[in-house]
Amino acid sequence: MRALLPREPGILEMRRALQIALCMLPILAMGADDIAFFETRIRPLFAANCYACHTNSKMGGLRLDSRESVLTGGNSGPAIVVGNPEGSLLMQAVRRTHQTLKMPPTAQLKEEEVASLAEWVQRGAAWSKQESLPAKALDASYVITPAQRAFWSFQPVRQQKSPAVKNKTWAKTAVDNFILAGLETRGMTPVPAADKSTLLRRVTFDLVGLPPTLQELDDFVKDNTPQAFAKVVDRLLASPHYGERWARHWLDLSRYADGQLAASIDTPLPNAYRFRDWVVDAFNKDLPYDKFVKAQIAADQLPEVERAALLPGLGFQALGEQGHDQVDVTTKVFLGLTVGCAQCHDHKYDPIPTKDYYSLMGVFRSSSAIQHPLVPKAEVEAYEAHKKKVDAMKEVIDDYLILQQKLLADTLARNTADYMVAAWKKDFSAKHLDRQTLDRWIVYLADPKKEHAYLNPWFDLMKKNPSEDQVRKAAEEYHVFALNLIEEGKEVEDKNYVAFGGKKGMKNENNRQYTNIVSLDTLKFYQWRELVSGPYSTDGFKAPAGVYYFGPKEIDRWLGGFAKDHLERLRIEFIALEKDLPPMYPFLHTLKDADQPADIPVAIRGDEKNKGEIAPRGFLSILSHGDRQLFKNGSGRLELAEAIASSANPMTARVMVNRIWQYHFGAGIVRSTSNFGQMGERPTHPELLDYLAKRFVDSGWSVKSIHREILLSNTYALSTANDIRNAEVDPENKLLWRAHLQPRLDIEALRDSLLAVSGKLDSQIGGAPSLLDKGSNRRSIYLTVSRTRLDPTMALFDFPDANATSDNRPVTIGPLQGLFFLNSTFVADQAKALTDRLTNEVGADNKTRIEQAYRLLYSRRPDARELQLGIDYLNEGSADTRKAWQRYLQTLFGSGEFTSVN
Amino acid sequence: MDRRTLLQTLGGGFGLAGLTGTLQAATADPMAVRKPHFPGKAKHVIYLFLNGGMSQVDTFDPKPALIKYDGTPMPGAKIVTDRASGSLMKSPWAFKKHGQSGIEVSEIFPEVAKRIDDFCLIRSMYTDSGNHGPSLQIANCGHQLPGRPSMGAWVTYGLGTENNNLPGYVVLCPGFPVLGASLWTSGYMPSIYQGTHIQNSAVEPEKLIQNLCNGELTPQEQQRQLALLGKLNQGYLDRVGAQPGLDSAVRSMESAFRLQSEATDVFDIRKEPEHVRARYDISDFGRGCLMALRMVERGVRMVQVYHGNFQPWDSHDDIRIHAKLADKTDGPIAALVDDLKSRGLFDETIILIGSEFGRTPMIQNSGLEKLGRGRDHNTPGFTVLLAGGGIKGGTVYGATDDFGYKAVEKPTHVHDLHATMLHCLGFDHTKLTYRYAGRDFRLTDVSGNVIKEILA
Repeated sequence: MRALLPREPGILEMRRALQIALCMLPILAMGADDIAFFETRIRPLFAANCYACHTNSKMGGLRLDSRESVLTGGNSGPAIVVGNPEGSLLMQAVRRTHQTLKMPPTAQLKEEEVASLAEWVQRGAAWSKQESLPAKALDASYVITPAQRAFWSFQPVRQQKSPAVKNKTWAKTAVDNFILAGLETRGMTPVPAADKSTLLRRVTFDLVGLPPTLQELDDFVKDNTPQAFAKVVDRLLASPHYGERWARHWLDLSRYADGQLAASIDTPLPNAYRFRDWVVDAFNKDLPYDKFVKAQIAADQLPEVERAALLPGLGFQALGEQGHDQVDVTTKVFLGLTVGCAQCHDHKYDPIPTKDYYSLMGVFRSSSAIQHPLVPKAEVEAYEAHKKKVDAMKEVIDDYLILQQKLLADTLARNTADYMVAAWKKDFSAKHLDRQTLDRWIVYLADPKKEHAYLNPWFDLMKKNPSEDQVRKAAEEYHVFALNLIEEGKEVEDKNYVAFGGKKGMKNENNRQYTNIVSLDTLKFYQWRELVSGPYSTDGFKAPAGVYYFGPKEIDRWLGGFAKDHLERLRIEFIALEKDLPPMYPFLHTLKDADQPADIPVAIRGDEKNKGEIAPRGFLSILSHGDRQLFKNGSGRLELAEAIASSANPMTARVMVNRIWQYHFGAGIVRSTSNFGQMGERPTHPELLDYLAKRFVDSGWSVKSIHREILLSNTYALSTANDIRNAEVDPENKLLWRAHLQPRLDIEALRDSLLAVSGKLDSQIGGAPSLLDKGSNRRSIYLTVSRTRLDPTMALFDFPDANATSDNRPVTIGPLQGLFFLNSTFVADQAKALTDRLTNEVGADNKTRIEQAYRLLYSRRPDARELQLGIDYLNEGSADTRKAWQRYLQTLFGSGEFTSVN
Repeated sequence: MDRRTLLQTLGGGFGLAGLTGTLQAATADPMAVRKPHFPGKAKHVIYLFLNGGMSQVDTFDPKPALIKYDGTPMPGAKIVTDRASGSLMKSPWAFKKHGQSGIEVSEIFPEVAKRIDDFCLIRSMYTDSGNHGPSLQIANCGHQLPGRPSMGAWVTYGLGTENNNLPGYVVLCPGFPVLGASLWTSGYMPSIYQGTHIQNSAVEPEKLIQNLCNGELTPQEQQRQLALLGKLNQGYLDRVGAQPGLDSAVRSMESAFRLQSEATDVFDIRKEPEHVRARYDISDFGRGCLMALRMVERGVRMVQVYHGNFQPWDSHDDIRIHAKLADKTDGPIAALVDDLKSRGLFDETIILIGSEFGRTPMIQNSGLEKLGRGRDHNTPGFTVLLAGGGIKGGTVYGATDDFGYKAVEKPTHVHDLHATMLHCLGFDHTKLTYRYAGRDFRLTDVSGNVIKEILA
């Protein structure tokens, strides 16, 4: 009973509720009207609005599928107090009067529904005899309700006319009309436009991720024609740096790294960058987005004429992890749907049954990642054949060395007693003893601390000031033991060799793991290791080589005559072979269909061992027209790609134009850019979203056309100025009454800008990645991205974890970032370089240099106060003007004006 | 005025309540101290990670049956391990009862044994994957696949930090453990919550933290820069007007300046008296423990110390190496407990000691050349230790079967451990959520139960 005690309504109320409930039970059972009311008004209401979360999944501990469970309630206490709607948590939640519980979470119930619920509670909360809904069996057919179908994002994209506005002069483009209409309905007016240099700096960072050059600044400021800004936009969109900037956004989304996404290891993939370069190129060429999408799902199955050009796009899939990751990322990125949530149960909020999830999973499971060589087949075969020869030769040498090493150890061990006595006497005169081996024995016997007791008699004797005879006797005893032990070790090895099935079996890792083998006793093993084994080391521990062990690097001096000649010949042959081995051919990471593509069963509760019904490969039910679209060709990837990259599907175009909008305005029209489902946000401007989506498709899926739609608007050109009245109505600037200020440049723009203004930027486009800590001055997109060792500077400035898709980088601020500006050699180096650049370009006059620096860094001239601050700083500091300048510029770099975009 | 007060003062005027996403991350100070759901006993976490997999049956879970059955196949159900496992193998070490609680501890942890009444042993841990990568992910981030925020990210997201001059969450490892940064990532959360990884093989602070010191400028010269910067930023702020996130962004240099001196102090273990230092100065792990102590003392929220690079405790070939590892670990853990106590921090710090999984009670079939005496990975049963704030010392929770293979009594998943740890910090683990891609995510995914029996 205690478990039922409510936390919120209080014990007394609870008792009262129970009393009332108990009193009313007999009456309830008979009220046929009440039952009818429940069945017609209440049960459907619960089913449509609440059962996604409040049946088996018991969100908040609450079930709403039986009277008992409603009365018992959840974590916050009973859901209802019978006869008392006002005192019922359920009513407070649906009326949204409760402080924290506001239900349903995404859409408020209609007034009449709330009234019905209240009446039901008031009238005794009747429940029909069939007390609870049967728990939905997993294989029950899944029905998408009309209400679910009616959700905004599943509606077709509609042709939108630009809305009428009161202010007839402000709007310049269709985008402006939509924005202005939104503002006007809330009684707001847009703030004034930004000045020209601010606008130029903004658009240049937006499109190419760099500050404008002085020439670009002068050209634009002087150009008073109406097309001046359009010319700038065209110039920037045509710049090869545009692709570098926008590809990076896409790489965030596609969780790109120069290594394999896998749960256990981070394998570097030196060819991964070919996907990155392809994305850069796709943006630069304005590859139609539908084709861009198809390439990243099924390039291998596209028409032959374009296949080669699109094939690198498959890196999107092949660099990820086969299966869950591919389903999750593909649906989030292209469709804005969180299909991944349906892995273990039907999606709790969106009409995505688990079966749909495994339908897609079947597609990816019927495909596998391959290396697609970029050279002719003959070249690949020649390389592989040659590589095989090199490896085989290496093995022959290794085997030979091991054989020699073992023979030698055996031979040396035959003199064990002599070595021990000589070691004791420190007598180096015996001709049949090897000096190095004897030295090892001296060291070995000097430390009586061993992990076994086999040498205890020897060490005990040593304490007793023994005679040579005694020593020799002890040595001979040990000698016999040692030979036996080495023999025993060989027996163990022989037995295991047979158990494994010879050399071939040993090399088969699986075979190795599942073969029962024998081993030496632990303590004997230690002793064995100290005699004949190679050096042993693990992360926590190192053991030196045994006294008789001479490995591949030491054995040469022991070999002579025939053996020596033989080894030398082998080595010469190996070196020659290796020299002729060309570097490995370049290849792409792509996919291919399995030989026998197959549907897979639903994994009940996500457990693949717990198999449910077979999920035929096909597209998402909610996005299929009429009957669900099943895939018939191969894995079904091409059909999936076509279903996604289609204007008949309402998601794809909307999702992409929304992303473009976000990267220009800091937030999307739908702020949850990868989730257009129930739990995502609703569009602030649904008509504008549809307008852009339509334009996008009509333009032939041209991304650059959408940039123009957006950038040439007056909305984009607004200043960041504040307006107290607007700020009160819309503090988050959701309706875009002013421009969005980017509080801190992302790390790529930050680093690239520092290099650009210092004149040190290496503007080579594409190619293998460079390591940041090796001092590369290339644009940041070309730096190596590791999945497990993020570069600390990149990570410090919000570079995302490359293992998960990232649709919007958060901007965080912390003191370690400040250290970068204060102390990093990188920033200091750029300050030095810029000092020299300024002196070279405008001479030594401080005032001129300051002006030039302001124009380079902030795209404007300093005002009188700023000029004076600079001059004062330079004058009162160090006598070394070059140093003073470096420190001054370092400070300008660290200022908010350099690191933000307004 | 420190950064926090400054932000609170300035932030107040903007009417920014309710901002989400980017704006929220940049405006409301993401590292400001926040109250948990209820008053927690602990305020800090020190997570000592014995990476590679500490064997339970050789350390804290004695199994006399292994002596009896040594060398014979394990009776009973079919066992599932990663690699072929052979017969049962007894521990090379003896166990003895210690403390008032009489908990049995292996002889390779003599110093921890002396303080066993401070510890709670969960002997019935289990996890989902027998590979290091996924199980490290689960232990740290509550999920097998990479990309979710780590425990430390959750803790700093939940509580903020008490010292804005230092990172809120610090990870110490001489180099990298397996998987590296994905074990201390902030995942889909803002990156300010990610662990600051410090390679603590060096002793000099300037070698530990990137850009901590400036080789060219004196503090006075930096002060001059800061003075100029303040004026430039003020001009900029005046010109662009009130803007979400801009103030904290432009002031990060000022806090960095303070960080320089604070970090130089906290990481310099040479400042500890010789008798304190000597107890830790035997290994990188030991020095890490001392740094952890000094950081917690200065308000750092969570410190994780990895025993070493890659996976030192992964004793596949030879379990006896555990003795050498324990030798570098035992003393520093004991010293840390003692010093947390003497500095009044023990009761407000939760100490967690454990691995990604345990090791089999059976011998592992090693390679031919090793003639091995090691143990393989064991996921169905292993042991972790807890101590400090909110934890009932001198307790043993749960048990494995007679051979130490599988948790049979009160099986405890890693999610339960995370739930309990969050509870000690004052969080209901089901309510500490972060919204990403339309879903409220938790450290404990969709499971986890607080283990009430081990709470003080």
